[in-house]
Amino acid sequence: MFLSDFRKEFYEVIVAQRVLLLVASDVDALCACKILQALFQCDHVQYTLVPVSGWQELETAFLEHKDQFQYFVLINCGANVDLLEILQPEEDTFFFICDTHRPINVVNVYNETQIKLLVKQDDDFEIPAYDDIFRDEEEDEDDSGNESDRSEPSGKRKRFEEDIMERTMKRRQRREWEARRREILFDYEQYEYHGTSSAMVMFDLAWIMSKDLNDMLWWAIVGLTDQWVQDKITQMKYVTDIGTLQRHVSRHNHRNEDEENSLSIDCMRIAFEYDLRLALYQHWSLFESLCNTCYTSASLKLWSVQGQKRLQEFFADMGLPLKQVKQKFNSMDISLKENLQEMIEESASKFGMKNLRVQTFSIHFGFKNKFLASDIVYATASLMENIEKDEPGADNFIKALDSLSRSNLDKLHQGLELAKKQLRATQQTVASCICTNLVISQGPFLYCYLMEGTPDVKLFSKPVSLCLLSKYLLKSFVCSTKNKRCKLLPLIVAAPMDVEQGTVIMVGIPPETESSDKKNFFGRAFEKAAESTNSRTLHNHFDMSIIELKMEDRSKFLDALISLLS
Amino acid sequence: MFGERAAELVRGLHRAADGHLPAFNEDGIRQVLEEMKALYEQNQADVNEAKSGRSDLIRAIKFCHCSLLRNRRCVVAYLYDRLLRIRALRWEYGSVLPNDLRFHMSSEETEWFNQYKKSLATYMRSLGGEEGLDLTQDMKPPKSLYIEVRCLKDHGEFEIDDGTTILLKKNSQHFLPRWKCEQLIRQGVLEHVLS
Repeated sequence: MFLSDFRKEFYEVIVAQRVLLLVASDVDALCACKILQALFQCDHVQYTLVPVSGWQELETAFLEHKDQFQYFVLINCGANVDLLEILQPEEDTFFFICDTHRPINVVNVYNETQIKLLVKQDDDFEIPAYDDIFRDEEEDEDDSGNESDRSEPSGKRKRFEEDIMERTMKRRQRREWEARRREILFDYEQYEYHGTSSAMVMFDLAWIMSKDLNDMLWWAIVGLTDQWVQDKITQMKYVTDIGTLQRHVSRHNHRNEDEENSLSIDCMRIAFEYDLRLALYQHWSLFESLCNTCYTSASLKLWSVQGQKRLQEFFADMGLPLKQVKQKFNSMDISLKENLQEMIEESASKFGMKNLRVQTFSIHFGFKNKFLASDIVYATASLMENIEKDEPGADNFIKALDSLSRSNLDKLHQGLELAKKQLRATQQTVASCICTNLVISQGPFLYCYLMEGTPDVKLFSKPVSLCLLSKYLLKSFVCSTKNKRCKLLPLIVAAPMDVEQGTVIMVGIPPETESSDKKNFFGRAFEKAAESTNSRTLHNHFDMSIIELKMEDRSKFLDALISLLS
Repeated sequence: MFGERAAELVRGLHRAADGHLPAFNEDGIRQVLEEMKALYEQNQADVNEAKSGRSDLIRAIKFCHCSLLRNRRCVVAYLYDRLLRIRALRWEYGSVLPNDLRFHMSSEETEWFNQYKKSLATYMRSLGGEEGLDLTQDMKPPKSLYIEVRCLKDHGEFEIDDGTTILLKKNSQHFLPRWKCEQLIRQGVLEHVLS
């Protein structure tokens, strides 16, 4: 059931209990977790934090801990499946779910006792009505009871015929009801999408309790920016949410506007920025950043020689010498940096890039440390999916969680370096795929398979990196192809995951359009295709559109998908 | 040179890191005691001879006597410093010492350690009313009742005061009462997370 008063029905219930926090592996969940941890530490709520990266880990963690905890808080996992059936908990176990995955499973919505959803009500849900989906089983039993009573041996023949007619009517009604139910559920569960960021929900809770801090606000901002970077929410929603956060930012950070009474430079402050959407540009060189940001690279078509020329023209148009632009951003001439944003925006619109600036926030503390929210998102995501030392997933989670605290700047810088590598690798892979025409149209969708020998292919064996790659690939493909029909197709990308076990990770993303509502139907499609071909698939990720399957089953799975979706 | 080996004993102990207890140098002590015995016997003989007239031996006797005193001083310093370190171990590790440290102590030192433990326990029991007061907890004033800890290795189940158990698995983070965690932090199972 949906909770209306988070404070009374969630926080005050658990404040005297011990809680198990199960946190999914994405940046938004990490931010929500940090906010909740800060609240718990403030109120001395004893908790245990267990990171989970998929359904199997969730089940394992639950089984291990179910004897010791009665209250479970799930962050960014659990809303889109029937949790009670998967976990089989006891009667007195309670789950509080704060999840951005939609649609929320109907059992979770209508369960009154054990499942409580920490979800904002203004996301429009279109949940089917209770009566359309659930029907009391007792009605049928009564019917059969009545029927046995009625079939008295001395019953008149006419009544016997009436009975048969009644029974067939009821059976027909029941069949109709079930057919309608299947249709309603199919429509409801067909498309997957995302709701308000969990970090923002948690920040709201903190604000209601007047325990919100600037640090928590920053985490909420990072959570929202993560949804935007990963293209999980529409532009409208992003702008609305930025507006909401902007109010909080001005409330917490208004002291800096007054020149005389401003805070010391070491205090942390957040500022609203209408800044360039070039990834990591302040920690890199402008040239590198332009080459490796999806938006600019796709618009300028930087994989071709023409594109490279256009890039040079772009810089020439702005009057920025190449030597300056290839330097580290902080060492660029100050005179060039002064009006950089406006200059770039002007020139960019001449080259067809109208949305080069985006509304976002930045954080300052000390003289050297200034970061944009997107920088933090890239850094944390890279840390979490770091394959370099082959550490178990939980270690990476812990490192990423630590990097969100301001006292762990070394981890953050490590994350930034990894993010640069990741972005470069992504860009090179995209360029090679487009140049070698690896993206093929299969009819109802586009398909691309990254061969094993591709450089950096190991980086893309992780779900979030692969999703980012897919989105960049689709954007670039849409800009490069002349086929109008292909521009509206969704994309499936597969990459080898574990060479020894012969598994492949496959990701499906919705088509790239201006006003896309980011609704993804691949979750259900994958399930159906797997069933119909008996492929050995593992639907382990919380996002249903990411699956793992055996390499040998790849072709028959794809064929099934094609026939399903055409 | 006399007194060299005794100085070696002391230097060896001094080289060991602050508070760390190296193995008991049985050999070194035995050698020093032998040297002292030899010196003493030498001196006895010399004194007898000096009494019967040879006065030029008096300087030698004085020298040997000084060496003996020096050796004694070094040995006593060695043993006493080790006892101080063992006493500090009780405050740091609790009543059960890790195995490798136990092997570093001689039997007399172990005996002393047990006696010290008993005295400390009796004293602590006599304070603070009925249950006694555990002085070895909270060596510095604590900043908060609960601390955030991260598990570094699989430790299994761990029971806290209200009877509930927590499963300490690698890489899980917990928020627990400080007094329960201190032991495990010292043993290296948990790590205090500062944020």
